[in-house]
Amino acid sequence: MRWMVLVLLMCVVGSVRSVVGDERDTVLLESPGNPLVSFRFVFHVGSSDDPDGKQGLAALTALMLTQGGTEELSLQEAMEVLYPLAANVSSQPDKEVTTFIGRAHRDHLEEFFSIFRERLEKPRFAEDDFARNKDQLLNFVSKSLRSQDDEELGKHAFEWQLFQGHPYQHPVEGTVQGIAAITLDDVKKFYREHYTFANLQIGLAGDFPTGFAERVREDFRKALPAGSDEKESLPELTKGKGLDVMIVDRAAADSTAVSLGFPLSITRADEDFYPLLVANIYLGDHRSFNGVLMNELRAKRGLNYGDYSYIEAFIQEGGSTFPVPNISRRQQYFSIWIRPVAHDNAHFALRGAIHFLRRLVDEGMSEEEFSAMRDYVRSYSKLWVQNLDRRLGYQMDSSFYQTDFYIDAIEKKLESMTVDDVNRAVKRHLDRWDFRVAVVSGEAAKLKQAIETNQKSPMTYQAEGTADDVLAEDKRIEVFELPIEGVRIVPASEMFEK
Amino acid sequence: MISIGSVLLMTLALGASTSQTQGPVFPYPIDVHDFDNGLKLVGVKFDSPGLAAYYSVVRVGARQEVDKGKSGFAHFFEHMMFRGTEAYPTDAYNDALRGIGADSNAYTSSDRTVYHILASASSLPHIVEIEADRFQNLKYEEAEFQKEAGAVLGEYKKSAANPFSGLFEKLQDTAYDVHPYQHTVIGFLEDIEAMPTLYDYSLEFFDRYYRPEYVTLLVVGDYEWDALLAEVTDKYGDWQRGGYVPDIPEEPPQTAPRRGEVSWPAPTLPILAVAYRAPAFSTDAIDMPGLDVLSQVHFGSTSPIFQDLVLEKQWVDFIQAGATDQVDPPLFTILTRVRQPDKLEAVEAAILAEVERISNELADASKLDATKSHMKYQFLTGLDTADAVANTMAHYLSLTNDPRTVNRVYELYDQVSAEDVRRLAKKYFGASNRTVVTLTPSPDASGGSEEE
Repeated sequence: MRWMVLVLLMCVVGSVRSVVGDERDTVLLESPGNPLVSFRFVFHVGSSDDPDGKQGLAALTALMLTQGGTEELSLQEAMEVLYPLAANVSSQPDKEVTTFIGRAHRDHLEEFFSIFRERLEKPRFAEDDFARNKDQLLNFVSKSLRSQDDEELGKHAFEWQLFQGHPYQHPVEGTVQGIAAITLDDVKKFYREHYTFANLQIGLAGDFPTGFAERVREDFRKALPAGSDEKESLPELTKGKGLDVMIVDRAAADSTAVSLGFPLSITRADEDFYPLLVANIYLGDHRSFNGVLMNELRAKRGLNYGDYSYIEAFIQEGGSTFPVPNISRRQQYFSIWIRPVAHDNAHFALRGAIHFLRRLVDEGMSEEEFSAMRDYVRSYSKLWVQNLDRRLGYQMDSSFYQTDFYIDAIEKKLESMTVDDVNRAVKRHLDRWDFRVAVVSGEAAKLKQAIETNQKSPMTYQAEGTADDVLAEDKRIEVFELPIEGVRIVPASEMFEK
Repeated sequence: MISIGSVLLMTLALGASTSQTQGPVFPYPIDVHDFDNGLKLVGVKFDSPGLAAYYSVVRVGARQEVDKGKSGFAHFFEHMMFRGTEAYPTDAYNDALRGIGADSNAYTSSDRTVYHILASASSLPHIVEIEADRFQNLKYEEAEFQKEAGAVLGEYKKSAANPFSGLFEKLQDTAYDVHPYQHTVIGFLEDIEAMPTLYDYSLEFFDRYYRPEYVTLLVVGDYEWDALLAEVTDKYGDWQRGGYVPDIPEEPPQTAPRRGEVSWPAPTLPILAVAYRAPAFSTDAIDMPGLDVLSQVHFGSTSPIFQDLVLEKQWVDFIQAGATDQVDPPLFTILTRVRQPDKLEAVEAAILAEVERISNELADASKLDATKSHMKYQFLTGLDTADAVANTMAHYLSLTNDPRTVNRVYELYDQVSAEDVRRLAKKYFGASNRTVVTLTPSPDASGGSEEE
């Protein structure tokens, strides 16, 4: 495997720029000698295109393409072909893009591609596949999401709370009534309208033969309707004055998970994103002890399993610490994720999270902290693209944001970045009090009252032995007066209903 | 993203598998050195210029948790290993990792605890230094120990709402009487809640198991062997051998069918596990590899029962089967989730009928070939990063401490015949060797509008 020395060909069959425009972009990463070929086909369609009352249509359509038959082959027959190759095609629907991911050993490239193209170009849309896939989505939202994973529930509830009235509000998988209302004809219509050549970005990586990429592109150009890639602009999110809290009441929950944050006006396409990236890793690097939140709340206080922050939507890849690529969105947000805490510590956790964010906003990072974080980000970001498939995904994201290759862009921006750049970006984007907050708790009413009235919330420790300076800081956190705009309780059984 | 069922794959962790027709399946050169103190160093050359994975594989896990009230302790101790030494207190250790831009973490399973770092190859000497230091000189105060107990309790709670956690707790508790596999890796809740009181025990635990004879170091990627060996010799050479050997009780043979039921306090589809006592990991006989092949042929995505229950009748939303590779006998578990709750009994009957059928009928020859091809390519496509290769090798090192095991396993997969598959089904899938556990929502489970 030679990803580090690969011949990086941003060339294209047509042109290479962005998804928008009348020429198609195709991202090719050629890696001679690599035995695997990765396919990433990104369609510029997602749950934000779900029609009102049919929330889940984009996800169900994607499922029908990967978990349904083709015109030629039933699902069972298609699986029989792919089985000995240990190859498959999966879908990753998100708010604005839906990515179809496949990987095959080069021994089977043609065999694999014949199934891959059939899936995307000639789906069967069989009734029995539809019934099964629709039921799967419905079970996911009505059972798994509502009652079997408080962390996932919390994260989806947070987006629900943050994006009220916005096309990003509902879960990508849909709402209970939305999924129930979808018909097979809806799926067919959605496919016809959105699975167009104009909406498609083709990504290929590996050691594919000469002419293969051109053939692939031509095949899809002929098979899919031309379409148009025009997108409606997203509505503005209004600013609030203080914390707007939704407590999801799940009686069986024996701990409380907290997510909070606010919309950001920037993405990877903006200058300020990069200094903010450094500040965010300092504040809440995902699943590492580099972050202030993790050290203060978990290591010093034993509050919970983990405490992190983000400046864009983050979906973890498997059991790793890295995000999956191709979660490209025009609207991003800042968030803090407090993993489940004992009920009695939930209010303290909320205050603690904001307390440590405010410390960053008010005091900024020191030159020394900045320098350490800059060096870390420079090396660590290289690990995000360890294999060719991930590198391809990141390359395609860069095309979405119309930037240089993200990892190179980070390196370049870090060269001239100063601690003042970072502290200025923090002030500009994180100095806000209008947090949208989603809490999943088994003691909703008690927590509501405590938050509404800014009740004192001392941290309850499981054991003695907390350092004096930590206890002294606790005294300030437990009475930290938060501007509360509103607190409401929603039963888990009513979440994501319509 | 659609993540339905992803937890299941993690829970059963069937392991990568393959067959091989020519030469060893593991395609990378291997270096090995055995130290006098019992420590082993294994290197795997992998083409990842400038990058290396450094794994410390400790052969201790839930299996060694024989002391009463100490379930989950191996995992808890994994957390304590990040609490620093005199030379590198926690902050200094974290700063060191941050300074080299490393991705670092650890995990615990039934038979092993694995600490892994992925970083630039040029930082290997520094990694050897800080890892050798914490494995020999770990030092923490009781207050830090108690803080970490809070993090572990939080880790338990974050997964507590998942019905599969509940199902597996019950399954292991029902199928085993005396062996520590009776509990899950994270341990019983009451034991986790009592952890803050066990500071002294933690020191003893470190003294027993964090010894060279329990540890193998594995480096995958871009390294220079002589330099690496010299570094490791310098930093780990004086580490004293321990000698503690726990008395792990042998589970007596099962003599009658067992059954367990879980009433789940939240809305859920019914979940069914049909499990059989299976052979321990071994490459001396065809049994363990044969059952791996069987699990794919008869319960994989192109098997007759998958076609029948998932695709045609649509009674279940998935079905899968397999046994985890373990040092002592694991369970071969057939796991499914029932989409149509009134079909729970019918699904169980269909599974038992299929078990009966495969104990008497030979698997289709073309299906067996397709399965071997599937396993081979699944294995090869998985080896795409230094970290992935290290993860695979760490798995086998934890079982046998022999890097050649991976090739031996795949040779055996290739030798499995249809007759072996039938014979093994008959041998292991008898009623008296069976434990069935069902999980269904309790009558007062609230919180979901379930009817559409």
